[in-house]
Amino acid sequence: MSLDFDAVNADKILIRYDIVVESSEKPEDIAKQYLPENQFLRQIAQDVMNLKSKDIEKHVSEALETLSAEEIIEKGLLAGMDIVAELYGRGIYYLPHVMVASDAMTRGTKVAEAALSGERKYKGVVMMHAAEGDPHDIGKNIAAVLLKSNGFNVVDLGKDILVDTVVDEVQKQKPDVLTGTALMTTTMSAFSRISSRLKEVGVELPFICAGGAVNREYVESYDMGIYSAKAAEGPGLANKAIEGWDWKKIRSNWDDIINGKA
Amino acid sequence: MATTKYTKMAYASADEMVFGEAKKPISYGLGIKVGQGLVIPEINFAPRPGSEKSPESLTKEYVDYIATDIMNRAVTLGFPAVQLENEWIFQMSNEPEKFAKPVVAGQKAVIEKFHDQYGIACAVRHTCADSRLHENGMRYGQDKTHNYPEKMMESFEVAAEAGADVISIESVGGKEISDFAVVRQDIRGWLFGIGYLGSIDMEWLWTQIVDLAKRKNVIAGGDTNCAGANTAMFMAGGYLDKDVPKTFSAVTRAIASARSLVAFECGATGPDKDCGYEGPILKAISGNPICQEGKGAQDAHADLMGNLIAATCDMWSNESVEYHPEFGGSSVQCWLGVIGYEAALMNAAKQMKQDKVLRDIYVASDRFRGAEPYILAYDNAYKIGQAIIEAGDSYYLRAKAAGLKAAELIRDSNNKGKLKLNKQEKDTLNKIITDLNSLPDEEGKFVDWALKEYKDVPAFNPKNYEL
Repeated sequence: MSLDFDAVNADKILIRYDIVVESSEKPEDIAKQYLPENQFLRQIAQDVMNLKSKDIEKHVSEALETLSAEEIIEKGLLAGMDIVAELYGRGIYYLPHVMVASDAMTRGTKVAEAALSGERKYKGVVMMHAAEGDPHDIGKNIAAVLLKSNGFNVVDLGKDILVDTVVDEVQKQKPDVLTGTALMTTTMSAFSRISSRLKEVGVELPFICAGGAVNREYVESYDMGIYSAKAAEGPGLANKAIEGWDWKKIRSNWDDIINGKA
Repeated sequence: MATTKYTKMAYASADEMVFGEAKKPISYGLGIKVGQGLVIPEINFAPRPGSEKSPESLTKEYVDYIATDIMNRAVTLGFPAVQLENEWIFQMSNEPEKFAKPVVAGQKAVIEKFHDQYGIACAVRHTCADSRLHENGMRYGQDKTHNYPEKMMESFEVAAEAGADVISIESVGGKEISDFAVVRQDIRGWLFGIGYLGSIDMEWLWTQIVDLAKRKNVIAGGDTNCAGANTAMFMAGGYLDKDVPKTFSAVTRAIASARSLVAFECGATGPDKDCGYEGPILKAISGNPICQEGKGAQDAHADLMGNLIAATCDMWSNESVEYHPEFGGSSVQCWLGVIGYEAALMNAAKQMKQDKVLRDIYVASDRFRGAEPYILAYDNAYKIGQAIIEAGDSYYLRAKAAGLKAAELIRDSNNKGKLKLNKQEKDTLNKIITDLNSLPDEEGKFVDWALKEYKDVPAFNPKNYEL
């Protein structure tokens, strides 16, 4: 070896800003202020927060003896995911924590849903797809988890989905929000065709578009298009649609929504 | 299927490795000589949205604008050699005869014209798209809806016949499992997806590509794990990103190197593609030339090894840039300037016999910027290569050995206080070491376990891998 690399003082070349600002807060301390008081709901929220799938079905079953399924979903399972989202937002949890917590939430939700007297009431319906000709869907799948964890019913059409199929399914299932993801500039052009086709059949809805090569300028070049840079922005944008904002209002207030000011 | 597994390193020591020189140099195209004392810029590009509407508009974009602009700028700046890389868009792979053939032939005509007029050495690499969908079937006859496996091989035929000099791909075997595993920080799943399934798919694919390349007299370049390790690296990002710990992405890179090596074992000769950050490990084992991308690829993405990854490259790339105007010309011209001048710097260092000094400066710049650059520094890449060949022929065992070696290198440097890690990175690294050490020593036992563990992963079908 011609050089002793360990002799190089890296601190004079680079700064590990992630370590400089590293939080010393513990997840359990932050969670204290958000955890429900009821012992059953508290246990379920903690299972989600601590990524523990093993006993969550048992804990949900126990809770069902005294609490309604709706209450368990809203105030136990989704409350646990709210804490996870808070920890993720503070940089204490990483994305895999969110995904594994979501797996636990899903297991618990299945048990609770079986006890529902009728259909589960969701916040709204989001229909998702990856563009025609595009096999890349990891971003869509992450966004789907975040939306489900936020109380949305996600209808996932899959990847490499034809424009015609998307338009047909929107007409049939009437979602509140449509999303499309694409990695390549030459597949994202399907989004503008979907927009045109939906207009032709008289459908208007917020159409959130995202992915590697997708940019805000392009997405705002066609009607209904709402840009999203990160999967984590999905719930905030979809929530506005549920509040009754149309795509024009969401688009014109986009910066404020993304920055948590609207 | 005939593959030859490596039993010894191509280089006697890590210090032997340096940019612009490969143990197995190759010559092709219009005077291109790779790994023979000259680092060559390889410029990669994407057409503007909308240009894919017709074969005519796409050909105009790729040939009249992009290829012509590149060759003009290469001559303007006096670069002795240039390689173009065309990563096929979906429309080209879906209808190769209609969309791809005129593009390939047109680009070849452009570089021939410049070669004839100025004598500039040049070639075109065509990287065909792997559009195969795991849920529909990865092998012939399985995907009745799109026929993507058949179209993929047809793409190579069309490319080779129409004028490609080098053929490559970024294949997606095992991606259905690695995508599932990367967002759950599950290194055992990632090992199964890329280290095992990915290697099986590579062997199936690359024996065919090499056979075709021999028949058509083109170069079989190589196959990067863009779909797996680059997904992890991109998600790990920089210091503000919190999606995937960088220790996780570093270990996936080492595992991916055992998978990408399969192309060379099937007879590919390199140059491996730019986005294969596992390149230094492959070169250490095989001696085949590699293309890399770093600081000259900021048009496409940021990484934490902009300088370091140049240390052992034979070609130097910009990854990919969408064609558009800049103040200094078109985007392909500007980014060719960036990578071409860097290649000139390396070539000047070589003339002055300072190439190993420059190599070590590149490495010193980024060695401790993160876990992934640390394991890809040529000395550590060499050690990971040794771990792979010492593990024998089992795809599982050698990928596991590569991952463990990378994890141990990171841990040891961190323990010495050199490579800094944040808390998440440390916790993740400890879990990776525990998880990998908990796995069986026999491939059969591992596969039996993994097939049960991941049977419910969406789109996973063992038949895609003849399991």
